[in-house]
Amino acid sequence: MRRSTLIPYTHIAARSIPRAILLLLVVFALFSALTIAQNDTLHAQTPEPNLPERYPPEGSFSESQAQGIDRMIMCPVCPAETIDQAQVEISFQMRQIVRDMLSKGSDRDEILDFFVERYGKDILAAPPKSGANLVAWLMPVGGVIAGLIAVYLILRSMARRGSAPITAQPVTDAGLIPYLQLVDRHLDLNRNAAQLGSKSNPTSSSVYPPGDALGDSPNTEESKHNSEQGEQGR
Amino acid sequence: MAELGTISLWIALALAAYSTVGSVAGKLRQSPALVESSQSAVYAAGLVLLVATFSLVIAFISRDFEIAYVAAHSDLAMANRFTWVAFYAGNEGSLLYIGTVLAIMSSIAVWRSPEKFKDALPYTTAVLMLTLTFFLAVTAIMANPFDKLPFVPLDGEGINPLLTHFGMFFHPPALMAGLIGITIPFAFAMGSLLAGNTGDEWVDAGRVWGLISWVLLAAGLLLGSWWAYTILGWGGFWFWDPVENAAFMPWLGVTAFIHSIMVQKRRGMFRMWNIVLINVAFGLALYGMFMNRGGSVPSVHSFGSSSLGWIFLTFMAVGVIVPFLIFIWRYPLLKSARNLDSMLSREAAFLVNNMLLLAIAFVTLWGTVYPLLSRLTNDEEITVARPFYDQVNGPLMLALVFLMGVGPLIPWRKAGMASVRKTLLPPIIGGLATVGILAALGLHKEYALIGFGLATFVTTGILLEWYRGTRSRHRSSGENYITAFLNLIMANRPRYGGYIVHLSVVMVTLGIVGTSFFSTQKDIVLSPGESVVVDNYEFVFLGSVETPKGNRTEFTSTVQIFRDGKLLETVRPKRDFYPSFNMAATNAAIRSTPVEDVYIVPSENLPDGSVGFRILINPLIWWMWVAGPVMLVGTVVALWPQRVRAPDPVPSPSRFSSGTRPTVV
Repeated sequence: MRRSTLIPYTHIAARSIPRAILLLLVVFALFSALTIAQNDTLHAQTPEPNLPERYPPEGSFSESQAQGIDRMIMCPVCPAETIDQAQVEISFQMRQIVRDMLSKGSDRDEILDFFVERYGKDILAAPPKSGANLVAWLMPVGGVIAGLIAVYLILRSMARRGSAPITAQPVTDAGLIPYLQLVDRHLDLNRNAAQLGSKSNPTSSSVYPPGDALGDSPNTEESKHNSEQGEQGR
Repeated sequence: MAELGTISLWIALALAAYSTVGSVAGKLRQSPALVESSQSAVYAAGLVLLVATFSLVIAFISRDFEIAYVAAHSDLAMANRFTWVAFYAGNEGSLLYIGTVLAIMSSIAVWRSPEKFKDALPYTTAVLMLTLTFFLAVTAIMANPFDKLPFVPLDGEGINPLLTHFGMFFHPPALMAGLIGITIPFAFAMGSLLAGNTGDEWVDAGRVWGLISWVLLAAGLLLGSWWAYTILGWGGFWFWDPVENAAFMPWLGVTAFIHSIMVQKRRGMFRMWNIVLINVAFGLALYGMFMNRGGSVPSVHSFGSSSLGWIFLTFMAVGVIVPFLIFIWRYPLLKSARNLDSMLSREAAFLVNNMLLLAIAFVTLWGTVYPLLSRLTNDEEITVARPFYDQVNGPLMLALVFLMGVGPLIPWRKAGMASVRKTLLPPIIGGLATVGILAALGLHKEYALIGFGLATFVTTGILLEWYRGTRSRHRSSGENYITAFLNLIMANRPRYGGYIVHLSVVMVTLGIVGTSFFSTQKDIVLSPGESVVVDNYEFVFLGSVETPKGNRTEFTSTVQIFRDGKLLETVRPKRDFYPSFNMAATNAAIRSTPVEDVYIVPSENLPDGSVGFRILINPLIWWMWVAGPVMLVGTVVALWPQRVRAPDPVPSPSRFSSGTRPTVV
């Protein structure tokens, strides 16, 4: 495929990035909804009385569920560590309380509430997804959406400015055309004169100034001319 | 030694200040002699700071406890090799280190600066030396590592035990060098603006130094994670700790910059954007140093608390606002040389990549400041830690990995939908196939599926690129495949170096996805002789030995790891208790394989001889540590100077005809 075949696609290309951005937006929104929802779902469990032990056996609840809760609770005495991480006495005790409560049938929210009541909201490793603290969660989502919109607007304005020079760019000096044709013929490119001259088509790699030819387009056929040229140009 | 150090410090400060004033004055008065002498002052400052550095090293080695810093961070029991670590264990030494690194990098940057940049170089020198002046002034006046005690203590307080780890030899210096290294591309951008250069003269130097700081930061972050993994004893490697974040954000900024600077290098576009980006990165780097050295937030990095906070904060404000004003002043000069040809082009992809990177940085910054905001507006104490960042940044990072697979496959300028579809088809098929196979095998965690799918998607894209390039080279020149492949890489180092780095990012992704979603963790107390089964492994605890050693008591446990009834390995995880610090440093035993790590660490030693262990099976984390060297290799390839090549001979027809045949499978 040669460059000439690309021209008809320009309008499609111009439409596809907005679509891609839209897609990204949707995907991101889905992701956020998914994660935010995911963390609030509770696993089913069969409450069973269990004697408190330093490291109670599994069975009545899943250990990974308990660990998930551990990771939501900050250690009150250590700097910036959760009770899952901290290896100090109080975090051992708090982990034990988590497992105790789980085995007595409390769910994740009840356990977290229990600790919030005792230590305050900052015992939670993340802001609660309710009330004023919802801002903490919505701000990033808003920021990303604003960013995508900004990128779209910037690209659109850059592309608009760009549309005029593109068509004007190729061969301005009509006297050059025969030479370019000669070069092309030597290169076995089989391009006809009408195509090159009349339609002001950025077909031939030879019409590009060397500085414009780029050595690092992907190895698709269409870019091959460019990359060969780019290495020469440097 | 104290006198020599202090004197060198003050001389270096004087030289930096002279160079700042001298270069600007020399430029304005058009006095080449003054400009040249200011440049010599840069080299001289570098040399004098090396003298100061050596003075401190010698003071440490001779255990000159009259120097307060030496007494605070070493003792007689410390092995000499830890001098290197003790050097930057506190603020004073760190600041001296930062100053020395900045002076040396500046010297190299000034010395190697391109001829075409000569006109703007004095301004760049001034920016560099102004920053150096700031750091040296703070060091000399407020945190002089050579300050003396009124008496000579018999022994020092000793080095922080958490620092006596192999990773600590590189993690802090690499990060500090990376943070301060951002000053160099920033100074080139500022120099260019101040001189009123409209063109791209600063771009090459900016890119090279941007990449150098980038790889230093990346290496520092990876080594820090590795350190946390092996020594902090909770089995993880990244906690979104405020100081980790402070180092992570500048890395994101520089990552955006080294991508977008390629657009300017290649296409003469994004001129304003690159200036903005490097300003942002520099601001974030200053913030990083403020967090790390000012020490205002509780974190595992609170090694040196200090009162330097306000000074750093002020410098940060100046370092962000002044460049911004300069940018606004020079704004009219920064028009793009070319316009965007199409929205489906690599340029556009790079802009989206930049947006995502900055979005992650924004989320991270938001999480860091939210507790403060909440306290001010709501009078409510709120913690923002790992669960928040995991949930918000996780999807953004996956989007970034996706873009990493798409961006390099879209050509510059403009792409045809048909060809893009053709290029992207095999990677997409690869990614979807991975998801399908894994789902069929019973893997139902949607994030993990997406993560693995994207990893395959990116890898397929890169490998196909390599394959196509190698094949077409093989066909056109008749080189054998290996030579053709090496020549392919050598012919366009920035691009193929970038691919190698991308592969290393895929490896990091594997490690993160593996440990985040498939790790098994078990806390258990074992008495000698007892055993426990975790996943496919059985652990038999044989016993623990207590050895008093100078400043610490070592508890060494012996554990046998069995799999399918076969002894795999006998490991000896350690827990050292330091009474003088009231702190325990653990040393996990890790049996690492590409499939999964078996990780066992003693978290407490009970009086009856039993030991509380934490046992983890961490899948795929091996890939994360191997990614480091791969990343380094990729960066070196990308940075390797490309010699100006003589033009190729006129290509033979066959060279082109290979291009007209369909090469896409």
